[in-house]
Amino acid sequence: MKKLVSLILVLLMAMSLVSVSAVAEDGSHKLTVWCWDPAFNIYAMKEAAKLYKEIDPAFELDVIETPWNDLQTKLTTAGMAGDYSTLPDIFLCQDNAFQKNVLAFPDMFNDLTASGVDFSQFGAAKTAYSVVDGKNYGVPFDNGAVIQCVRTDILEQAGYTVADLTDIDWDRYIAIGEDVLAKTGKPMLSSTAGEPDMIMMMLQSAGASLFDAQGKPAIAGNEALKKAMDVYTTMVKKGILVEVTGWDGYIGTLVNSTVAGTINGCWILASIQTAKDQSGKWAVTNMPKLPGVEGATNYSNNGGSSWAVSSNCKNTALAYDFMSKIWGGSVAFYEDILPSSGALATYLPAGKSTVYSQPQEFFGGDTVFTKITEYAGKIPSNYTGAYYYEARNAVAVAMTTILGGGDVDAALAEAQSTVEFAQGV
Amino acid sequence: MNRVETSRKTHTGRKLTLYQKQNLVGWAFLIPATLLIIWMCFYPMLRALLLSFQSGTGARMSFAGLKNYAYLLKDGIFIQTLKNNFIYLIIQVPIMLVLALALAALLNNPHLRLRGLYRTAIFLPCATSLVSVSLIFRAMFAVGGFVNITLMKLGLIQTDINWINGSGETARALIIIALIWRWTGYNMVFYLSGLQSIDSTLYEAAYIDGANRFQQFRRITVPLLKPTILLTAILSTNGTLQLFDESYNLTRGGPSNLSMTMSHYIYRMSFETVPKFGYAAAMSYVIFILVAILALLQMKVGDKR
Repeated sequence: MKKLVSLILVLLMAMSLVSVSAVAEDGSHKLTVWCWDPAFNIYAMKEAAKLYKEIDPAFELDVIETPWNDLQTKLTTAGMAGDYSTLPDIFLCQDNAFQKNVLAFPDMFNDLTASGVDFSQFGAAKTAYSVVDGKNYGVPFDNGAVIQCVRTDILEQAGYTVADLTDIDWDRYIAIGEDVLAKTGKPMLSSTAGEPDMIMMMLQSAGASLFDAQGKPAIAGNEALKKAMDVYTTMVKKGILVEVTGWDGYIGTLVNSTVAGTINGCWILASIQTAKDQSGKWAVTNMPKLPGVEGATNYSNNGGSSWAVSSNCKNTALAYDFMSKIWGGSVAFYEDILPSSGALATYLPAGKSTVYSQPQEFFGGDTVFTKITEYAGKIPSNYTGAYYYEARNAVAVAMTTILGGGDVDAALAEAQSTVEFAQGV
Repeated sequence: MNRVETSRKTHTGRKLTLYQKQNLVGWAFLIPATLLIIWMCFYPMLRALLLSFQSGTGARMSFAGLKNYAYLLKDGIFIQTLKNNFIYLIIQVPIMLVLALALAALLNNPHLRLRGLYRTAIFLPCATSLVSVSLIFRAMFAVGGFVNITLMKLGLIQTDINWINGSGETARALIIIALIWRWTGYNMVFYLSGLQSIDSTLYEAAYIDGANRFQQFRRITVPLLKPTILLTAILSTNGTLQLFDESYNLTRGGPSNLSMTMSHYIYRMSFETVPKFGYAAAMSYVIFILVAILALLQMKVGDKR
């Protein structure tokens, strides 16, 4: 019994020693980071730390792998408890969730406007995701510029080339799609049933949003949204777009050559390249634009994330310096991470680098990375709003209703009232 | 004898009687668990009740009275999820319990070979990880998946059924199938243990009186298993009203929220969208009250002791 008691005492003392040393380290050159994906974000963070060590040899970086769902749950829990002491110095935040988190927990974020990061060097549409009330709360990272990937071999069978699909509108795309389907039996693209990604991409390509500048829902009577719904439904009905179940089903249609192409954020390149046997058969171009809609372009954005500095950061000077010198100032860093992770930056100067202009064998020797960085600079900004996920869910419901034959205006009006209701709660 | 009595007399002032001593020991054993339950269960419940009277986004909460509860009545999605939960409850629980009881009666037969194997095989689903089960079910019930191909080969359907995204009916049916598959074995174990306590002489006597197997089952097994049936009914009702994993992982609540459960909606309101904890707490209280009412009803109907 005595032994047990002494053992417990020793353990307790050891634990208190550990916590004392942790406190002592806070004053040093150490930063803690939460982010997800070892092959992408975590890899990039670790490479950034290596580079920063050349500036500050005492610099230490502790990256804790935290999947986005867990990260959001931790942020919400800390925010609701009003206790930010559990948070790391820097964390990665989904662009679509940025506004919401800043609105819900304004004390959780550090205002980075005067942190020394030159935000004008990033794609404007990308930076806009993490700007709230004119203040920058995030350092933009990965690129979500929308690309159209097409199978040149399938198009060839129907007598088309990539050039025929470049800088076109959806009417032309549907006409080509019908022809391709008739001649090869393959649909042009696939998408996950119940997920409105495609609609959201079309919407932003016209610079339109689900909210107005005051944050009020702008779903009912939104002409760009109506057109997008119309294009989507037409494609499904004509069999040009095939809806599948879940993400795996979607990737399956690409790697199994079920479809002649896809339209998604440029991060889809990584999944496409897993089908090694299709090397040289893919090409990259821009997406079609909405016909007859004011401000329509061939460029949009889907997904992506940005770095935030939490209010729990004890050494903000170090964090700001790290972010501005590496993430917002080093072309060499972006050159370093591109080849092995495919992490395409939204840091515009990096696009001019020679590493970015390397021809890619898989995409028929095209310089796809330069192309995508170019697209990223042309994306129209849209207003995400804090209630993005509510609006997205409501639009998904409307999409299912419209596909089932429901009236477009009525479905959008219902989505509008669903979001208005959520804002009133 | 005399000495004993005097010694007892001298101690009565300070020492407790045997009864008091046992009482104290009993309390000492109860207190740690009681304190833990109060701290980990009742205190959060009280805080959640207070939270349900507050409104606001994220950390900016203020007192709002019954506003959250009033909003619940106007929330179309909440009413849809409430309906879904009751559909699961009304269809799935009776099918599952009848199946479990029938299986238990079959597997209780001491002359049956490989009894242990069957019992384990039927119990095993509830020991598997729900996320992996959902992934496998999603693949099996996909368009062009195993289930559709089998049904087509059997000539039962002409074209693929889009279980997960096709319609609310198929998505809910899928969840009910998954629930029955997973929880029937779990309830069967309760019945098997209940059957052990039924004296075999009762069946012998009934047999001599000329009762067939079905009559024995109806007149002996079911009445004597009543407390167990009540227990499983309350547990299943409770579990179904709090259902989360199947809705979240298997159908993702789709299509158009038609298979989403209340708990899934609470999660969405708390962590996926702008955090509305006050509103989510109010919804949790609705579930709590529903579970309490249903359990009370079942006890009134089922327990005649």
